[in-house]
Amino acid sequence: MDLPLVLNISMLLTLAILSTPIILPLLSDNFKNTPTIITNTVKTAFLTSLVPMTIHVYSGAESLTSLWEWKFIMNFKIPFSLKMDFYSLTFFPIALFVSWSILQFATWYMASDPHITKFFTYLLFFLIAMLILIIANNLFVLFIGWEGVGIMSFLLISWWHGRAEANTAALQAVLYNRVGDIGLILCMAWLASATNTWEIQQFTPQSQIPTLPLLGLVLAATGKSAQFGLHPWLPAAMEGPTPVSALLHSSTMVVAGIFLLIRTHPMFSNNQTVLTLCLCLGALSTLFAATCALTQNDIKKIIAFSTSSQLGLMMVAIGLNLPQLAFLHISTHAFFKAMLFLCSGSIIHSLNGEQDIRKMGGLQKMLPTTTSCLTIGNLALMGTPFLAGFYSKDQIIECLNTSYLNTWALVLTLIATSFTAVYTIRMTLMVQTGFVRIPPLSPVNENNPAVTSPITRLALGSITAGFLITSYIPPTNTPPMTMPLSIKVSALAVTALGILLALEASKISQALILQKHGPFSAFSASMGYFNPLTHRFIPTKLLSGGQNIASHLIDLSWYKMLGPEGLANLQVMATKAITPMHSGLIKAYLGSFALSILIMLASTS
Amino acid sequence: MGAHLARRYLWDAEAEPDPLQMPSFPAHLGLPLRQPRAMVASAEQLAQGRVPLEQRDFCGHHLLRLLRCQRDNFPVPWGCHELRHAWDSCQHRE
Repeated sequence: MDLPLVLNISMLLTLAILSTPIILPLLSDNFKNTPTIITNTVKTAFLTSLVPMTIHVYSGAESLTSLWEWKFIMNFKIPFSLKMDFYSLTFFPIALFVSWSILQFATWYMASDPHITKFFTYLLFFLIAMLILIIANNLFVLFIGWEGVGIMSFLLISWWHGRAEANTAALQAVLYNRVGDIGLILCMAWLASATNTWEIQQFTPQSQIPTLPLLGLVLAATGKSAQFGLHPWLPAAMEGPTPVSALLHSSTMVVAGIFLLIRTHPMFSNNQTVLTLCLCLGALSTLFAATCALTQNDIKKIIAFSTSSQLGLMMVAIGLNLPQLAFLHISTHAFFKAMLFLCSGSIIHSLNGEQDIRKMGGLQKMLPTTTSCLTIGNLALMGTPFLAGFYSKDQIIECLNTSYLNTWALVLTLIATSFTAVYTIRMTLMVQTGFVRIPPLSPVNENNPAVTSPITRLALGSITAGFLITSYIPPTNTPPMTMPLSIKVSALAVTALGILLALEASKISQALILQKHGPFSAFSASMGYFNPLTHRFIPTKLLSGGQNIASHLIDLSWYKMLGPEGLANLQVMATKAITPMHSGLIKAYLGSFALSILIMLASTS
Repeated sequence: MGAHLARRYLWDAEAEPDPLQMPSFPAHLGLPLRQPRAMVASAEQLAQGRVPLEQRDFCGHHLLRLLRCQRDNFPVPWGCHELRHAWDSCQHRE
């Protein structure tokens, strides 16, 4: 049996299965899409994608397929080529598993929506674009997927487009992603001009790659993966429905930026500037997002900031020259973050739309499955030993601890890890335990299997995924094996410290003392003052600068002062200077003419 | 908080040398007893096993045995612990 052939065929079959619900309605008039059909399609695609993953794990087979070539100009051809290596073959089943669970959940969550089929079709489009991005072998195909996920993110965030906040959030997402796209296009332009190709195979670590295209790549990842600087769109994107948040903004789309850096990693593995920039940017992002999550009261925003924080951690792994660890964290994070979002969606729907954790409490007795899975997800997020998050998160922190690099980044990451524990425990305490603060007569139920089975499936994934992935894939880089005991348990220690801190803080809030809101809590609650500063300052400057250029510079200066009016002014100036030189007394002039003629006649005769 | 920083503070330069003044050994240290380092696995074997390029180092023979054992015990991930330990300790000694 020819293994590469089976590999190729099964991957292409997966993609073909996914595009069936989009193509079939166009071909036949009797076929009507339903959400169940789309869910089952994704389930079939997941089962099909297990085949190539198994082949790869068993035999290490990889493949590179070139389907069609766009003969652009004479010496620059763009093949539509797909790369099936470890990253794409492993991420396909993970993404499809998570998507299947989310779509099954969405059949319950969006059941009252009149356009539910359109919603599912949008999610399917998004999924196809994301998978094209993952499987792309050259930057052109990747860019197709990149833009595709950006557009679908816009359409899905503004799903309830009657709500103004949703529209502004979608616009924010598109604009911030666009700023990041500038970096990607810069890098593509440099590659096309210097190396005449966009293929990933050609990304060799040359010493003469200038830093600017690599900075463009980092900018693209900053925009798409919500690193500090281009991050406000991610918390704002929680305006979209919970399945959208679960699929796009936790497991798949926001990892596209990190995935781009993983794919193009050979280019900057030698460039210490870019690696240090990634490290520091990731550390700053993770600490900033963790700080902002501490005082949020909306359950979805807490989870959104948690996503942003973990993305910063992935960026730290890239900065440590360990793309495989970043990919491992992407894979494990997908499971538990999607599950956290689904649990929060179940809670929100049960409380009839209540998203504020100050109005939730004591849900453990009312929603046992959901809250147990919420606890499992939170433990995995904190890096509890031997759950999914431990294998990736702890390894990243160990490598950061034992590498001779930036101590500042290390300190930030450790503080962020403890803050992760703090906000997680805060969320758990306020949502699940304590007094019941929900209004009576809430439709609290989780009797529908469309709710419980995705959540429990993802819980199983959160527990076992880390173990499974690390036991089947030998690591490419030697992990650090010797370190003092204090370093080895440092991640656990800071997490435990965070848990203790959160329990202490919850006692303060139970004592019913009016809390003094100091500058730190104000910083955290207003998300670092970043939003009003940038959202008001930059557009004001740009628009007023534009107005200055349009009206003052062009209209007034060029068309008036330097053009006709200016000439007219010069003329007027000259005229005003000369006109007073004559006094206009005609009789006096005639008299002087007559007098001078008389004098001349008298002098000559 | 890094291990190297802790060692720098607690012990002297023998335990953790200053990275800016790394000791350089003389070129002929212990020369009569030194043998050239020999690879146990040959290049063709590594290429046939399709080992990734970064992992074709002096511990490649352990890795080849580990990969073969993993392929033989495929659905069961717990069959190859001794070989994994051998590879890990070889990498550690490296």
